[in-house]
Amino acid sequence: MSIRWTRIAPQLALSPALAVTTVAFLGSILWTVYLSLTRSRQVPDYGIDWAEWSRQYGRLFADDGWRIALWNLVTLGIGSALAIVFGFVLAAMIDREKRGESFFRTVFLYPLAVSLIVTGVAWRWILNPSMGLEAALHRAGFEGASFNWLAQGDTAMYAIILASIWQSSGFYMALMIAGLKSINSEIWSAARLDGVSLWRLYVEIIIPMMRFTFLTCAILLSLGVIKAYDIVLAMTNGGPGQSTWVPAYFVINALSQKQNLGYASAAAVMMLLITAVVFLPLVLLTAWQARRRNAA
Amino acid sequence: MTDVASAAAIGATVDSRPVVRRRRKRITGRSIAVLVFLTVCALFFCVPLYVVLTTSLKTMDEIRQGQIFALPQTWTLEAWRFAWTEACSGITCEGLRVGFLNSVLILVPSLILSVALSIVTGYALALWDVRWAGAFLFLLFMCAFVPFQIIMYPLIAMTRSIGVYGTIWGVAVVHAVLAMPVLTLIFRNYYKDVPQEIMSAAIMDSGSFWRIFGEIILPMSGNILIVVLILQITSIWNDYLIGVTFGGFNTQPMTVNLANMVTVSTGTASYNVDMAAALLTALPPLLIYFLLGKFFVAGITAGAIKG
Repeated sequence: MSIRWTRIAPQLALSPALAVTTVAFLGSILWTVYLSLTRSRQVPDYGIDWAEWSRQYGRLFADDGWRIALWNLVTLGIGSALAIVFGFVLAAMIDREKRGESFFRTVFLYPLAVSLIVTGVAWRWILNPSMGLEAALHRAGFEGASFNWLAQGDTAMYAIILASIWQSSGFYMALMIAGLKSINSEIWSAARLDGVSLWRLYVEIIIPMMRFTFLTCAILLSLGVIKAYDIVLAMTNGGPGQSTWVPAYFVINALSQKQNLGYASAAAVMMLLITAVVFLPLVLLTAWQARRRNAA
Repeated sequence: MTDVASAAAIGATVDSRPVVRRRRKRITGRSIAVLVFLTVCALFFCVPLYVVLTTSLKTMDEIRQGQIFALPQTWTLEAWRFAWTEACSGITCEGLRVGFLNSVLILVPSLILSVALSIVTGYALALWDVRWAGAFLFLLFMCAFVPFQIIMYPLIAMTRSIGVYGTIWGVAVVHAVLAMPVLTLIFRNYYKDVPQEIMSAAIMDSGSFWRIFGEIILPMSGNILIVVLILQITSIWNDYLIGVTFGGFNTQPMTVNLANMVTVSTGTASYNVDMAAALLTALPPLLIYFLLGKFFVAGITAGAIKG
């Protein structure tokens, strides 16, 4: 009997996690996909009118708010990618210049421990036009300085990007430092003997060697960008107007403000599709790189 | 001539120095440039903290002068006291201490549920010969990428039907569900390096699944438990969306309290109170970061890379 039990117990131990995966993840995804085909408004309505099953999606694609949200997603993605570049520069400098390594690491990484709500509150205060950075610069004699980004629709996204870069650069730096440390130290002395300039060494040797780390960073960045909600809420609450809407914000807004379940579900399904389209290639590429690295 | 000779002598001694003390790195121009750049960057990272801290210690009259970078002329903790005990969030005006208490009350069951669920799953997947382990791992990996929004409404409906929606338990259950894939992968990655001989010996010794877990695996999990706990404490504490969605009217965590306080300000905004509230909310994870930085970094990188 005891042998039987040692065989059954592990399977039993897995069942809660298995139940969570099938019900809370897979089941919920299917449920939302189903809801997106219905006309549900405040309460779910499970009848599907197959003649116009794509009704919610049609409305979604015609919605200016959704178009703005998608466009902002792209802007945010490109803008936040600077955090990877910035993180790499910081990591390369810290890694070569050993002085003050732990001090700089600690300073660059602390924003990650701070919640995005707090980050948003802090940056919104700094960008306050009458009492913040702009006022201080005006007093110091820079009359032309303008940092009233949050009040204008076309610059509000930049403020969000600035705050996200501030929050996440240290994280990419930490990943990059780990990547740099795994590079064989002989490369540095070999390059010095060959008289290769530092610039060329980085561009032609180090960065290609670290493509695995860069890929990981790219995956994590896109995950963070698609999930971006807290920072938008804390900095602009979607405004001015709809100018800083992002898909994550759009879904929550459709659900809690518009009380339109079917519509919110359609937008959420689109979010999942975007995630899949961005990730599957990146994840497959990473897996392929990892296999090649293991084979080598 | 003597000048030249002494200059040459000095030059010779200067030159010979690096030979004698080769191990010591000389400060080169490049090093100075790098250090200056890093210091400027460090300032960029520190300025928000400095501004928030000094603003929270000023009076509103002083803040209106528009010198955000100046130190306070009169230092006062009034804003902190007000934020903690009197500030309004929504319709209640009892300060952030309400949210703080809620956050602590949410944190404890969330931690217990999420760690218990994923440590057992990770252990079973890593060390026991269970069916479909590979497929299940792949599924978990995929679930880790799923955006919260797509499972949000079904989770609301489910938690409502079992009667925990709008309570601390609802928030805790959802935290446990959402953290399960990533944490399971972390635990599984940690346990898969346990030597097979230990497991075989333990099974021979008539050790059951749970006895091996309690007597062998758990005692050797100290490091990974600290890493996971810190990862979970910071992410649960900093969470906003789950708290605002699943928390009830009186059970909303500190981040939600803070956001309400800052965005729905009736009358004139008191930035000193806002900043004090923001710092109070950020303080617990910051303390963990500065005290246990090593584990924090290990946690976020493990939580990030997963596979």
